Amino acid sequence: MNLSGKIALVTGAGTGIGKGVAIGLARQGAKVAVHYNRSDAGAKDTLEQIQAIGGDAIIVQANVQNKDEIVRMVKEVVDHYGRIDVLVSNAALQLNYRFFEHDETTFDRMMQTNLKGYWQCIQAVVPYMKQQQSGRIMLMSSIHGKRPGDFDVVYSMTKGGIRMLGREAAVELGKYGITVNTLEPGAVDVGKQSARESKPFLDEAEVKRRKPNEFLKKFPMGRVGKPADVASLVCFLASDESEFITGSAIRLDGASVHL
Amino acid sequence: MNIHNKTVFVTDADSRSGQAIVQSLADAGARFILNSTSDGKNIEDIVARMQQQGLKFIVINVDLCQRAAIAKALEQATEEVGSVDVLIHNNNLVKPASVEHSSEETFFEVLNYNAKSALMCTQAAGEIMAANKSGKIIYVSSIHAEKPTGSSFVYSASKGAVKMLSHEAALTLGRDGVQVNTIELGPVEGDNDRFASEVSHLYEDYQYKVPSTELGTYEDLANLVLFLASDASRYMNGSDIRMDGGFLMHYLDVKMNKPWPEGGAT
Repeated sequence: MNLSGKIALVTGAGTGIGKGVAIGLARQGAKVAVHYNRSDAGAKDTLEQIQAIGGDAIIVQANVQNKDEIVRMVKEVVDHYGRIDVLVSNAALQLNYRFFEHDETTFDRMMQTNLKGYWQCIQAVVPYMKQQQSGRIMLMSSIHGKRPGDFDVVYSMTKGGIRMLGREAAVELGKYGITVNTLEPGAVDVGKQSARESKPFLDEAEVKRRKPNEFLKKFPMGRVGKPADVASLVCFLASDESEFITGSAIRLDGASVHL
Repeated sequence: MNIHNKTVFVTDADSRSGQAIVQSLADAGARFILNSTSDGKNIEDIVARMQQQGLKFIVINVDLCQRAAIAKALEQATEEVGSVDVLIHNNNLVKPASVEHSSEETFFEVLNYNAKSALMCTQAAGEIMAANKSGKIIYVSSIHAEKPTGSSFVYSASKGAVKMLSHEAALTLGRDGVQVNTIELGPVEGDNDRFASEVSHLYEDYQYKVPSTELGTYEDLANLVLFLASDASRYMNGSDIRMDGGFLMHYLDVKMNKPWPEGGAT
């Protein structure tokens, strides 16, 4: 996949999937704006890994709950690189609160980041992509945009919202030559880097109940996903070859939903 | 389909869908907690009829984005109409909102009215139902939980969120004997105005995209609500029921059963 000359912005690229995606894009020749909000050390590491493979990247910081900061961030990218071809909206919050633990405030915070933040990143790049009459927007959702995860009701609600945001944006922005697709990874091994305030994914009792590797029985290929798996799909969707793919949601979960 | 003496909490009872649902369930002998932002003014006819029928009901007007306020209202209603058995979340606010130009204010107005309220009502009513080991939760949603509107992205996003709430609640509350389902209602009279769009032609000739060429009504909706609220639907849980007369099966506007003008289309 040749992405040389393309300029990509990846939000939440200091950790996890975002880091893998940023590095993957750079490996194919794209110049990458590595966004972070609080993971400054993580963003620096992503930058260094890109530079180590001879890639070109910059770091941009913004709180994606704040539209002004998003607009300023996108302007920084365009000021530096002259254009913006690819947006990967990926910075999201997953608190793992149980069903009745969520309240008005946690709902607001998660919607602010996961849904409003994704939408306002689109709003911020559209003026540039419209002028270019081309652009590639990818929304990092999850299999939990379509099926429940049973670990965080509001997380799934935000992903259900993103599912429709992706479709609406695709039908609305197609006339500008902009494609919009949603990615639905299943479990991805991101090491121990989840949000600081997140509760454990499973209760202690549930962890004890499970046999070692029981989880993997749900994965026909015997492994969970890697950030690099997601990066491969992002690179394809960023390439010239994927021009007619828009409004799609692509699941990449190793067929775990089918077991 | 017996819901006699079941206590049904209906949100936005003032709406056309709300009124049709209340009428239908009242005829089946239900009791009601009706949330009405007009304090009952817009449903005076229905209220008068229920009084004649000797049905128990109360009209409340609480902020559905405040879980504690909802919980308190349900608690206070218990003495008069009993503990809540059925929640019918029926909030459907549609406001024009394009991805490109919508304001943050509109975004939150629609999202909170439709989706935040759904979570707060589900938590407040679901806690009571789970304790009783029995209950029904029904979300009156829309085909736009799946089909883009081209006019209000935040409406469809809010309904996408409610769909996932329904799936999660079907698991969490399902373990305590509660069934949770969503109705994805298709076009009814007036939806061409509600979803008027420069981007999508979905509602152009929309009546003729329904294979029978007959639009649905809120009475059709009420019939399905009655089924989902009754014991007859005890094995329905976590379902999304599209009720649109086959509208969404339509593709590329071909073979519409539309009366063409004399001499063929121009």
